[in-house]
Formats: sequence, structure tokens, C-alpha cells
Amino acid sequence: MIPELGYGALIVGMLLAVYGAIAAAASARTGRVALLESAQHAALGVFGIVTAALLLLVYAFLTFDFSLRYVASNTTLTTPFYYRITAVWGALEGSIILWSWMLALYTLIVILRHRHNARDLYPWVLAVMLGVLAFFLLVMTVPAPPFERLTPIPADGRGLNPLLQDSGMITHPIALYLGFTGFTVPFAFAIAALATGHVSDRWITMTRRWTIIAWYFLSLGLLIGGWWSYHVLGWGGYWAWDPVENAAFMPWLTGTAFLHSVMVQERRRMLKLWNIGLVIMTFSLTLFGTFLTRSGVIASVHAFTQGSIGAFFFTFLSLVVLCSLGLLAWRWDALAAEGELDSVVSRESAFLLNNVMLVAAAFTVFFGTVFPLLSEAVRGTKVSVGAPFFNQVNVPLFLGLIFLMGVGPLIAWRRASLENLRRNFLWPVVIGSVAAAVFFALGVRSALAALTLSLTVFVASTIALDYIRATRARRRMGEGLLPAMGGLLGRHNRRYGGFAIHLGILVVAVGITGSHAWSVQREMTVKRGESVELAGYTFRFDGLAARENGNHFLVESSFNVSNGHATSRTLHPAKKFYPNEQSPIAHVDYHLGLIDDLYVVLGDFARDGTQATVKIQVNRMVSWIWIGGLVLTLGAALAILPERKKPA
Amino acid sequence: MRRPLRWLIPAAALPVLGLLAYGFRVNPHDIPTPLIDRPAALFALASYDGPPMNLEAHRGHVVVLNFWASWCHPACYEEAPVLERNWQAYRDRGVVVLGVDIQDKPEAGRQFINTFGLTFPNALDPVGKVSVDYGVYGVPETFFIDGKGRVRAKHVGAVTDAAFRREVEQLLAER
Amino acid sequence: MRGPLKPKFVVGIAVVAVALAYLIYAGVTQSAVYFVTPSELQAAPKPGKVYRLGGMVEKGSVSWKPASLDLSFTLGDGQGRVQVRHHGAPPDLFGEGRGAVAEGRWTGDGYFQATQILAKHSEEYKAPHDGARPSYQDMMKSLRGGQ
Repeated sequence: MIPELGYGALIVGMLLAVYGAIAAAASARTGRVALLESAQHAALGVFGIVTAALLLLVYAFLTFDFSLRYVASNTTLTTPFYYRITAVWGALEGSIILWSWMLALYTLIVILRHRHNARDLYPWVLAVMLGVLAFFLLVMTVPAPPFERLTPIPADGRGLNPLLQDSGMITHPIALYLGFTGFTVPFAFAIAALATGHVSDRWITMTRRWTIIAWYFLSLGLLIGGWWSYHVLGWGGYWAWDPVENAAFMPWLTGTAFLHSVMVQERRRMLKLWNIGLVIMTFSLTLFGTFLTRSGVIASVHAFTQGSIGAFFFTFLSLVVLCSLGLLAWRWDALAAEGELDSVVSRESAFLLNNVMLVAAAFTVFFGTVFPLLSEAVRGTKVSVGAPFFNQVNVPLFLGLIFLMGVGPLIAWRRASLENLRRNFLWPVVIGSVAAAVFFALGVRSALAALTLSLTVFVASTIALDYIRATRARRRMGEGLLPAMGGLLGRHNRRYGGFAIHLGILVVAVGITGSHAWSVQREMTVKRGESVELAGYTFRFDGLAARENGNHFLVESSFNVSNGHATSRTLHPAKKFYPNEQSPIAHVDYHLGLIDDLYVVLGDFARDGTQATVKIQVNRMVSWIWIGGLVLTLGAALAILPERKKPA
Repeated sequence: MRRPLRWLIPAAALPVLGLLAYGFRVNPHDIPTPLIDRPAALFALASYDGPPMNLEAHRGHVVVLNFWASWCHPACYEEAPVLERNWQAYRDRGVVVLGVDIQDKPEAGRQFINTFGLTFPNALDPVGKVSVDYGVYGVPETFFIDGKGRVRAKHVGAVTDAAFRREVEQLLAER
Repeated sequence: MRGPLKPKFVVGIAVVAVALAYLIYAGVTQSAVYFVTPSELQAAPKPGKVYRLGGMVEKGSVSWKPASLDLSFTLGDGQGRVQVRHHGAPPDLFGEGRGAVAEGRWTGDGYFQATQILAKHSEEYKAPHDGARPSYQDMMKSLRGGQ
């Protein structure tokens, strides 16, 4: 019953979405309001249907309905309750339904927020959103149906991949997808602007908050993904330049560029063409990312199943890219800049350079990701490029971007005078240089680490200097210290939200630098009672224990860690044996610290518990990455607050 | 920019899309096998039902050799009906479908065969020698062997109707 | 932008493009990794070049010495075979009769020195069971006894 019900609902939803898209587009062309209202109703209907379908799927998981192939493939009778819910989006078909639901939700919000304040653009926006939604619903009815019946009905399911049975896997897809789908809205507005010819700044002002929200969720999704990789996968790293990771990183890079270049358009009415191009590129990259992970075109550690779904995505991606770029070419003349770049030493120039670097990084990641395809097409040999390639090319770009983070917000528009430069940057440059000397004195020998950290200090100084000056100015007007500080944040929340986001990025950068420069690891086989020494810590192997643990069998080791002065703690790296998996899954145990993360992975072990092979890592500064994410969150929250019109 | 030049922008997307389209022809799951055009390794196994399975006995026929296992969810479960269906369709034209169950328990293998009502010969490969001889990485894998006993194609993952027919028709056409 | 591009832009764009192209070229040539099968490597091994060697771990070929962390095994593809050595414990998905990819260099001394052993988890594809692995009950018994 459930398979047919769900499947039918999705077909109806798809037809409604197609109808709604056509009706909205027709309304845009003819001006007939009735069509638009009909399209709106269709959108509401689609949201209701997709919500119902999603709930139906969740219900099927909770009630162990193995008549559904998707349920049988992703859960067993012993899967815990909460993982049964998250298993809904644990594999291909379910991830598409989650994506579709978020798109439908965003469409609903767009309707509620914009049906009155963007009358000329709104019909096209609705048409585009419903069109994209229709595609994803199509995918769920043909190549990747979540409601496919399985006959004969098995007695038990196969189970959820144990690597996915983790808290990170509950939140990571949700955050990531909210980010991906969120970029559909600015894209829809851009298409609406092109279609109507109203390519001035209104579409940008309308979508500013959408862009920040989408960008934020994408950032969050990437960070959670890194966190999941770090504490589950057992290699002690948080980023591997895997094609699937790159697929999410590319739209983040271009999305960041877009976030910045719109400010130039708002202020100087330049870069109109560039901005539309950027948002088209960002949206296309979100589709490309999905295409990459589901088509099997590029082999990856994460690779999902193959099938005709790749062809569907490829066709849609091509359609989107060619049509939107075609629209762009058509409206070329209307997109002429009204301002000019007066000087290389200006904020416009800094933002432009920021964009160039971000797009260059995105291109690099793209190139490295499709390189195996390229080399096979050109030379016939399978060649891949590994992490060294990405690091080598991207690190200089990222360093440049950090530097620009300090320069951009403070340098003057149009043409920065020497006075402006001196006033804003002299102290930060001095402080940054002093910091470099201090780091060297403290023993930092890696030139890259020293440079990155000094740049970080430079940027932090520019932010601090600006804030201090502004606070002082308010205080001179008679305000108290705290009201002055708070009032600044409230009155100029966009600016200070941006600063806070930059600070968050700086903290992340420090974390990445530290973890690369100063982390150490060691692998050793120890007998019970023996110890391994690393970075001043002593890890003593105290033995193994084994027991049944719900849906798996657990072999747990015990390591006592001490470093001389602080109290010792015990870590229990383990191996989990799941009945349906052919190999055990390592369960890393770790202790997080502000500077030192202790990280132990159990490798091989003797069956009688007398001996174990362990990989031990002391990772430095990794926690700063997660802390940076928190700062980023606060900054984004501040930035999207509604602006206060009256002076505080 | 003059009128025609602006269309360079959408045109610039074409080579990139072309490259991705090329990616479809290239299947990263095709682990290259040097067995193509080489003689298929001969073997003899005790089958689940019926006479012993002997590859040499089928010389002169097109043979579809499929490696599966009962614990192989969901791919082997997806392709079992496909194999049975196509076995029924092509047996009159002399095509032979052979199934080899690897690393499995006999009871589980039997249950799998009964569940899908497989009528083509299936045998258990208890020590895995046959799978080693064919360089089998995992299940399911299907080898298409021509009448002269040479391996002509290898399909990794669940075999589809289209893939089965394409390979078999090609080999039948050669005779 | 209306009108011809200003010279300073053209120069700027050209500089950036050239710099990027150089970085990418350097990066690719230094970190490109070639995928080979054991028979391909046997046919034309180049000492010092970084390869990704993919094949099946031959039964009975795995030798793991926990005390010295020396792992050695043979990767084959039905025609060729290559001996692989690695310092460190094998990853969880590694086992005899299963597929594996070893990244490293051919030493010229008759074996392949792997710096990394990769495993892949895909949902449509299952590596064969190792029938010799003890059942969970046996393992439980032996571990409880050894506590």
C-alpha cells in the first residue's frame, strides 16, 4: 500500500509542479493574475504532497516496512530509532526527497515573502523554483524512486552503513542541502531579472539575506562534514579533497565570491554581468555536485550507485547552464556597468581581486576533480591528482584571500588616498610584523605557518582597530562603553556581522594551519601494560574487552593517557563488527582540547587480548576549526538581522 | 562586446559539458581486466542441483558466467530476475547462463536460488578458486564468454536487461 | 563593459591567468598519480614513479607482523602479480580475496612499496566474504577468556 501511495503522490506532485511552473511563466508573459494565483496554489499543493511523502517514508522506516526496497536496503530490525529516521536521507533516493522537500519549503517562503514586494520579478521566480522542483520530483518518479516495492519482502533489512550511524550524519546532509537548495532562490531571481530585463540592483537587494543564509548553511554543512570525517573515519583528518567534498566546496567558493561582488554592484553599479554569471555558476555547481555524487562519473570513496540518474542530472544541468547563459548573452547590453574602476587601490579593486581568487580556486578544484576524466579522454590513461595538487595551488590563493579580508572592509571606495591607507593599515601591518617576529622567537619554523598566522593577526588587528575607533567615536558623543559597543553591532549589523564572519574564518584558518604544521602521529604494536610515547604524552595499553552492543559486536580497548602533570584519562578505541558488513568498523576514541587533541585508533589486535596495534595522533589546533564555525554562526546570525532604520 | 561575440559565453560551456558527457562512456567501476580476449579459465564445480558444472562442456556456446552471493544486497537481488528472464529468452539460441556462488553457505545459496526460482545451473565455489582465476573483486560480476571460450566482456555490478542483451547479441552475431 | 577593455585590465587578467596556469601545471605534474593493474606494472615498471596499483589480494599472500608493523601481500589480477610492502596496519576493509588499491612506488628491488592502502565502500558492490574469519561467538569466547 505504502509504495503505491507514495509513488502516486510524487507523480501528482511532479505534475502539479510542472503545471505551476508553466502557469507562472505564462502569467509573467501575459500579466494575467489568475494564472499566477493558480501557480501559487499549485506550489502550496506541491509542498503539502512532498511533506506527506516524506512523512510517509519516515513512517515506513519507523514501522520496519520492508516492502519498500529503500527501507530494506537501509535499515534492519536492530537499527536504533533515531538512526531509522536519519536513514531516510542516508542513501540516494531519500536524499532526493529531502532535497525536494527543502526546495518546496523555500518556494513556500518565497511566496510568503515576495509575492507583494517584487511584483515584476515574482512570477518568473516562482516559475524557476517550481521548474527545478519539478525536475527533482521527476527524478524520484523515474530513475530513483524512494517508493519502489521489493518482492519478495525480506524478513530483515540490510542495514544502514555503520559509518552513517553517527550524530554528524544526522546534521551534515540537512545543513548541506539547506545550503545547496538555498542557492536556487538567488538563481531564480537572477533568471527573473534577465527574463524581465529589470537587471538593476533590486534583484540583489531582494536576495541578499537568502544568499547569506544559503552560504551559511553550506559553510556549516562543510564544517560538520569535516567534523564527521575527523571523529569517525579514523584517519585523523577532516578534508581529503575527495571529489564529493570538492563538489560541495566549489559552490561555496563561488557563493562566497558572489556574496562579496554584490556589494560592489550595490555601491557602484558595476559588475552586473559578473554577478549574474556568478550566481548562475554557483547554482550550476550545486547541480554538478549532485550529479557528481550520483552518476558514478568520477570514482570516489563516497561513490553511490550508478544508473540512469546520471543521465537525468546531466541533461538538466546542460539545460540550466545553456539556457541561463543564453539569457545572459541576450541581455548583454542591459548589463553594462554604470561605474568604472577608478584605481587599483580601492575597495572595488580589492573585491574584484577577492572574486578572481575565489573563482580561480573554484576552477582549480574543478580541474583537479575532473582531471581523471580529462586525462582519460585525451591520453587514454587513468590519472588522478591527489591532495598535494589542491594544496599546492590553493594555499597561495587562500593566503591572498586572508590578506584581502583585512584590506577590503576598510580601504576606501573609488580611490584610496595615502592618508586612508595609513590610517587604516599602518598599525595592523606593524602589529602583524611584530607577530611574525614573535612567532619566530617562539619556535615556529614553518614559513607557511608563520606567514598564515601573521596575516591572521594583521586581519584581526584591522577589525579590532575599526571597532575600537567606532566605539571611541560613539563614546565621545556621550555614550557609555557597553551601549556604544552594542549599539554599533545593532545599528550596523551587516558590517559587524561580516566582521564576525571574517573572524570566524580566521579562527578556522588558524586551526587548519596549526593542525598541518604541528600534528604528529605514531603507529606501534604494544603488549598489555606497555606504553607508547608521543608529544610528551604516555599511552599505556591496558587490555581489551568484548561484548554484544545492540546491533553490533564491540571489541573495546583501554588506553590510559597521561602527560605527567594533568590527571590521566582513559581512551577506549574500539572495533565494531556488524553482521551484514564484511569488515569491522573502527571506532576512534579521542579527547579534544583547545590545543591538543588526543586521537587513538585501534588497528589489529590479538584474539586473546594481549596485544594491539594502534595508531596514535596528537593533533594540534583542530578544535579551533569547530570554534571558528561557532563564531561564523554568530556572525551570520548578526548579519541577517533586519536593519534598523532609525539611528540607535 | 559586439553582438555575435556575446554568444561565446554560453558556447564556452559546451566543451565542459562535453567532457562530462564523455564521462558517461567511461565507467569508473570498470576495473580493467586483462582477461579480455584471453581464454576463460576452465573449471568444474558441483552444482546445487543437477549434473556437475563444467565450463569446457559448453565450448561452442555463448556463456554468461555470473558470480553472486546470497549476502550481496541489493545488487545480486536486483540482477537475479534479470538473469533468469534473459536465460529463458536466450536458451533456445544456445546461450548458456552459469551462476557461481562465492564465499557463501550452501543453505543460504539454495535459499537464494529458490527465492528467485532460478532455473539456470548454479554452483558453489567453496574455496574461491574460480573467483581468483577470474580476478573477481566482488559481487556481482558477470563475464561474457564467446563460443571459442574467450572472455569478451566483463560487467561489474548488477547486470541489466540492456547490458545482457547488448553483449549476448554481439557474441551471437559473430557466429 | 562598454568599449574596448582598458589595457591595465587586459594585463591584469593575463597575469592572473598565467600565474594560475603555471601553478596548476606544476601541481599536476608533481602530484599526478597513475592507476595501473598488476599486469600493467609487471610489464613496464618505472622505479620511483608514484602509482595507484589496483588488484585483488591473493589468498595466502598476506604477511602481517604486528611487532614491526611490516605488512606484505601480493596483488594480482588473474594474469600478473606484484608483491607489495607497507609499513603499518592494514585498513579495516583489507583482506585476502578482496580488492585493494595500493598507492606508492615501485622500488626496483622486486616489490612495490606502498605508502597508503585504499579501500572503497560502495553500495552496489560487495567484497567477498572471508570464509575463514571466525564467527562472532568464537571471537567473543576467546576474548572473554583472555581478559
